[in-house]
Amino acid sequence: MTTRITRRAAVTGAGALLLAPRLAAAAPAIGAPAPDFALPDQDGDIRRLSDFRGRVVVLEWTNHDCPFVRKHYNSNNMQGLQRLAAERGAVWLSIASSPPGEQGHVTGPQAKELTAARNAAPAAVLLDHRSVAARAYQATVTPHMFVISADGVLRYMGGIDSIRSSRVEDVARAEPFLRDAMLAVIEGRPVARASTQAYGCAIKYVDA
Amino acid sequence: MMRVLTTLAALLALAPMAQALESAPVSSERATVTLIADHEAIAPGQSFRLALRQRLAPGWHTYWINPGDAGQPPEVSLTLPEGARAEPMRFPAPERIPYGPLVNFGYEGEPVFIIPVTAPAGLAPGQTFTVSAEGHWLVCERICIPEEGSFRLDIPVEAAPRPAAATAPLFTRAEAAEARPSPFAARLGFSGQAGAIEIAGPDIAPGAVREAFFFPVEWGVIDNAAPQPLSVRNGALRLGLTRGQAEALPARVEGIVAITDAAGVRGAYLVSAVPGAVPAGGGAGLPLWQAALFAALGGLILNLMPCVFPILAMKAMALARLSGAAQGAVRAHAASYTAGVVLSFLAIGGLLVALRAAGGVAGWGFQFTSPAFVAGMAWLMLAVGLNLSGVFAIGGPVAAGGSLAARGGHAGSFFTGALAALVATPCTAPFMAAAIGAALAMGTAEALTVFAFLGLGMALPYALLGVAPGLARLLPRPGLWMERLKQGLAFPMYAAAAWLVWVLAEQAGPSAVLMVLAGGVLIGFGAWAWGLAQRSGGRFGRLAGAAAVAGALALLPLVQGAAPAAARAADAGSEPWSEARVAALRAEGRPVFVNLTAAWCITCKVNERVALQTDAVRRVFAERDIAYLVGDWTRGDAAITALLRAHQREGVPLYLFYPARGGAPVVLPQILTEGIVLQAITSPGDAT
Repeated sequence: MTTRITRRAAVTGAGALLLAPRLAAAAPAIGAPAPDFALPDQDGDIRRLSDFRGRVVVLEWTNHDCPFVRKHYNSNNMQGLQRLAAERGAVWLSIASSPPGEQGHVTGPQAKELTAARNAAPAAVLLDHRSVAARAYQATVTPHMFVISADGVLRYMGGIDSIRSSRVEDVARAEPFLRDAMLAVIEGRPVARASTQAYGCAIKYVDA
Repeated sequence: MMRVLTTLAALLALAPMAQALESAPVSSERATVTLIADHEAIAPGQSFRLALRQRLAPGWHTYWINPGDAGQPPEVSLTLPEGARAEPMRFPAPERIPYGPLVNFGYEGEPVFIIPVTAPAGLAPGQTFTVSAEGHWLVCERICIPEEGSFRLDIPVEAAPRPAAATAPLFTRAEAAEARPSPFAARLGFSGQAGAIEIAGPDIAPGAVREAFFFPVEWGVIDNAAPQPLSVRNGALRLGLTRGQAEALPARVEGIVAITDAAGVRGAYLVSAVPGAVPAGGGAGLPLWQAALFAALGGLILNLMPCVFPILAMKAMALARLSGAAQGAVRAHAASYTAGVVLSFLAIGGLLVALRAAGGVAGWGFQFTSPAFVAGMAWLMLAVGLNLSGVFAIGGPVAAGGSLAARGGHAGSFFTGALAALVATPCTAPFMAAAIGAALAMGTAEALTVFAFLGLGMALPYALLGVAPGLARLLPRPGLWMERLKQGLAFPMYAAAAWLVWVLAEQAGPSAVLMVLAGGVLIGFGAWAWGLAQRSGGRFGRLAGAAAVAGALALLPLVQGAAPAAARAADAGSEPWSEARVAALRAEGRPVFVNLTAAWCITCKVNERVALQTDAVRRVFAERDIAYLVGDWTRGDAAITALLRAHQREGVPLYLFYPARGGAPVVLPQILTEGIVLQAITSPGDAT
């Protein structure tokens, strides 16, 4: 018995060493199926990406106290994009990935309060307190934006616009990367810039 | 009370420079930010430098021009008098700042961002050059706070410029923190997600590089958080890269390679490469699975080695006899043997990794460029070859292995495995040397994996026999073929020795080759005498053998000392450093510049190339009759070590300038620029 354990331990040990360098999942890629997720929304209902198959989906990683997120809410840019998405039949999901105790952490009721207070219009706010969706999409900052076409394929990832600042006055001057990509996907056109530099505050990850 | 006094003292010290040299600060509990100038007064048409100075609270950081996974670089917009020009703000070389699974590129502590400015020629003495600046900077810890502020400097215009002594150290430090034009050639390429950058230059060698990291200027070229496995060979280093999210690579990838050398000094170098084919890794740069596969194969071959095969064969026969016994018992024996082999190899690997870690701390890596080390290796190869040729025998371990192999029980199997591994080492030097070489260039986990697979490969035949004891009948019987194989294997050893002698010839010149060949003759004589004694008994042969080997070892210091003069002196016009020589020159009233360097110190070599051997610096050395003394620490000279210690340094580089007027030497920074050297050697009062 003892020896069998020894051998298994030796083999397992060697295997673990071989696998150790990179355990990371495949990176999200433009033109590849977008990773699915199952997250509770502000009312505690579980929402899956696959629930929205047949509609264009926009993902917005958010942290309401991040200066870069505030830039786009204080300027009403984000709310405008959310309403535009709704008018054109797209599903806008705001995802809050901050764990408890970190800036940007919200509970369901707090998320509803924030939506009301900011006059925001997402289809739902999803709570990703274990960083599961953030990890799957390799989201790095708030706001980090993704657009997924009706067939579940990732079409855009990156920044909300071209000027990487936290100043409200830059919103009007910036090239609206997310808006352009979202409209292109809704209208079935190719996305001119499918991957851009996201900018903002680092997402607070929970240790895996 | 004490703190109040200190604050007061600091305020008083700042007060006189508040107007012209350093602006009023914009302060938060996270950062204190000012605009500084390097001149108390400027002349019309003069070029000088402004800088944004950030003093960050512990834990807070700001960002490089490419901030990595999050963040934003600082911005400054200047309003200058009519006709003045400002160049873009320069960024110090960044650090990696990990945050969870993300990695940012930026700064902690006190980054200083230099902005070169040229004043208009139409200014008149008596006027004031007013600088207004608006700055925005993001400062982050776990959370990010955007900060902004306005700064103002009023710099008097005078007929002659007055450089500011008070801010000079800040600018010197800022310059040293910037990446330098690289003396290296860079190649970069990706194939799918995987790629690499190769940095080539004559100063790069395995013993000289401890760490390296590539920071691209543009977003999305690389996955910022991905590890960059480093492999170093003579003349080049290679960093494995993972492709980032940018859809297309820029036509030219610009960036910074930060290299930490064996002495722990970090230097940053600007590199630029047109993306092309993935630079191929050297032998040491194999992907891990390939290295592991080769290691397993090598381990398998070890079984054919004359030292090991008899043990294996003996155990195999025992197993074959046991074939009637319970399968379970046989398998348990095989498992014990496997564990014994693998653990022994892991122990050898662990020892090496530990040695490397200790050596890195102690600057041990450079032993590989030491002529005495190369000579010793050549003799070792020769001795192993002579052993394989049958001139003498290493009997002890094999006999011990044999007696243990004869023992029963799981402990017996385990120790047989361990002994097989140990016994294998002397007669398998080439395989071990390759594995050791690869291990030295790898991370700890990777190195141990390679050694584990070496062990697994070696244990494989026996493990197979455990599963299917019938296979033992297929094994060739021990016999004359083993002896012939053994003798044949001597020739690769002689070839290795010959190659090492060639390396030594390149390294240390013809007289060192003479020494190593003379030592080789002594080793040959020693082996012959020892073998004679083994065969026919008698103490004299052993004594003569030992004396001959001792004689060879006594030659080592001569080999070490035989290095050609050209390899020592850093460049022409210099003379070797000694305490006495410095004293003599100072007594003559000459200024003295001391450069303590080493052949394996990349930082030193780059400093010499970009800052000490430039035309401008040479000219000033000549004009001012500055004596240039070079202390070569390549071989750890004791007097130089003492001088380093006297300046609280553990290693090179160390640059000292002894002004002609006497007094304590000026200690220059470890990272030099032409400007830093010129400033140090031309500071007021040093003209002779």
